[in-house]
Amino acid sequence: MKKILAMLVALTMVFALATAGMAEAADPIRIGFFAPVSAASAAADGQSAQQSAELAVKLINENGGINGAQVELVSYDDGLDTTEAANIAEKLSTADNVVAVVSGSYSSPTRVAAPIFQDYGKLMVSAYAVHPDVVNAGNLIFSQSFPGAVQGTAAAEFAVNGLGAKRIAIVAVDLDFGTEQATYFKAKAAELGAEIVSEDYIAISDNDMTSVISKIKGEDVDLIYSVNYYAQASEVCRQVALQELGCPILGTEGADSWQLLETAGEYANGLYITTNMNRDDANEGTQAYIENYRSTYNMEPDMVGASVYDAFQVVFAAIEAVGTDAEAMAEYIQNMKDFDTVTGTLLSYTSNGSAVKPVQIQQVQDGAFRHYSEITDAAIINPDSYAE
Amino acid sequence: MFLQQFINGLVIGSLYALTAMGATLIYGILGILDIANAGAYLIGAYLGWYIFYATGNIALAFLLSMAAVGLLGVVLQRLIYSPILAKPRTLSIIPLVAAVGLFTMSSDAVRLICGAGTKAYNFKFPVDAFHLGGVTILPSWVLIFALTAVLLLILWFILNRTRMGLAWRASAEDAEISRACGVNTNSAMALSYILGYGFAAAAGIMVGILYNSITPALGEVPSYKMLAIIVLGGLGNPLGTVIAGLLIGLAETLLSVYTKIPIPKDAIAFVVLIIVLLIKPSGLLGQKNKV
Repeated sequence: MKKILAMLVALTMVFALATAGMAEAADPIRIGFFAPVSAASAAADGQSAQQSAELAVKLINENGGINGAQVELVSYDDGLDTTEAANIAEKLSTADNVVAVVSGSYSSPTRVAAPIFQDYGKLMVSAYAVHPDVVNAGNLIFSQSFPGAVQGTAAAEFAVNGLGAKRIAIVAVDLDFGTEQATYFKAKAAELGAEIVSEDYIAISDNDMTSVISKIKGEDVDLIYSVNYYAQASEVCRQVALQELGCPILGTEGADSWQLLETAGEYANGLYITTNMNRDDANEGTQAYIENYRSTYNMEPDMVGASVYDAFQVVFAAIEAVGTDAEAMAEYIQNMKDFDTVTGTLLSYTSNGSAVKPVQIQQVQDGAFRHYSEITDAAIINPDSYAE
Repeated sequence: MFLQQFINGLVIGSLYALTAMGATLIYGILGILDIANAGAYLIGAYLGWYIFYATGNIALAFLLSMAAVGLLGVVLQRLIYSPILAKPRTLSIIPLVAAVGLFTMSSDAVRLICGAGTKAYNFKFPVDAFHLGGVTILPSWVLIFALTAVLLLILWFILNRTRMGLAWRASAEDAEISRACGVNTNSAMALSYILGYGFAAAAGIMVGILYNSITPALGEVPSYKMLAIIVLGGLGNPLGTVIAGLLIGLAETLLSVYTKIPIPKDAIAFVVLIIVLLIKPSGLLGQKNKV
């Protein structure tokens, strides 16, 4: 009996030692992530973000991880709720032992979470949030895309100088996303000599664009600037066509989704958007991402997903180069130059952590987003031009 | 241009009336605020989409979806609301909490089962739009007016010209006395749920056709806006609900277009509600429980 017991104890010890050894060898790099997965109004973006995060981690692990270590994704659903975002930031920073975080969420949850990560000394890269407060939270906080100021200004440049618009109506979602871009659009359009004849800010829950477009019809405008997410942008396209306004529509990255093509159908043809993703880019990485995303999820990728994927690439590159120390990673990212991403070349970083990237103009042609032009003017795409 | 905006407002108002009708019928007889009606609206829209997608027949989509969601209403009434209300001294907040729970569950269930992305109805009318002297009328609006009118006429007929309707009105007036007189109040309740949830399903499909898109978020706005409409209409009064729906649709459209009010369009319903309640605390047609 004693013998058996002794053997059992010995076996247990051997097993314990073996598993401890295993755990040490494969100590994974934990990266935090949050996206608005269950917020009904943002769930499609949340899904796209979540899936791209999983894809990024899956692909890096299949390629042997980072410097031999596997990556583990610790992801949360913020429900597009700022309180929840704050809780998640606390949890990721204190309990989950992550080395860095990617935000796959909108501006409002991201700008609440950013200062919390900064205080705990955690590095965060935001995928596509447009509000400047996100990167202004501190030296550990970065964005992989351009802020609203760049996109709004680039839109005005394209509207007035590219499309020759003189009388412009603005229809924007009443969120940071809409107001931020509209503000900079107005300033640049005025500077270029165009007149903003009307401005309407619509709650994100309101899908009805009929009355707004009827009103704009009476204003005789030659361009509508639609700073809306895909559901509202789709309704703008449909109403402009059905009520026969006959003017071009310029949208934003918010409309950059297969869902707009689905719901607006033929009425989306001709729509211009400002975005960071060029689906026609010959770049290998871009085409590989599109292919991987399609084959993994049987869905069309969008700029939200691509931006999340890119934010992970920024974090991966930093860890690979300098390890997991937050300050070292921040310094590395700060000095990044010409980093190739799915959503274009990340030229450099400004001192406060905003990415300098060209703005893509895409147009819907025959039911697909196609390359139209690109805005590379340094005075427009460098977020430092807008520092107050 | 005013005429155009007036028509725009009427379209929205008709939809509001139809959406809130279910909650009105249920309040009329059970005295509970059934937020889960917004869930019926959402599920109806999705069910209708699947049926239309499979058969290409929009009439079938309306009929089957309304019938299925109406039956679902009866099941919920039997399994959830009736047992709660049968308990002595039930606080009126309890069925409300149950309804909120059901609504939240329906939204998440739709998201998890049908996916988070948008689905397009892609129902094609023979013409894109009618243009009559500067006024645009979309065929989807004509469908909405016509269907709303037909459904409300059917409702009026059932409530006022059938024995079932008589039983409903008697139960709404006083359930206990009605029961004592031999009225089957259970079937009157079932009628409320069949009609109420069925109407909500029809409204959901119409919204899906109107905007050519449905998402799991579809029920969010109706879940609170229908409260303003049924209270404004004089709780439990079907005719009041129609007037309140149209009034709020018009107020939202005209105020947001012609004035610079610094509040979101969605809040206008509640501002109108507050103003009307200050003048007439029982709502527009608030002779309690009269049809």
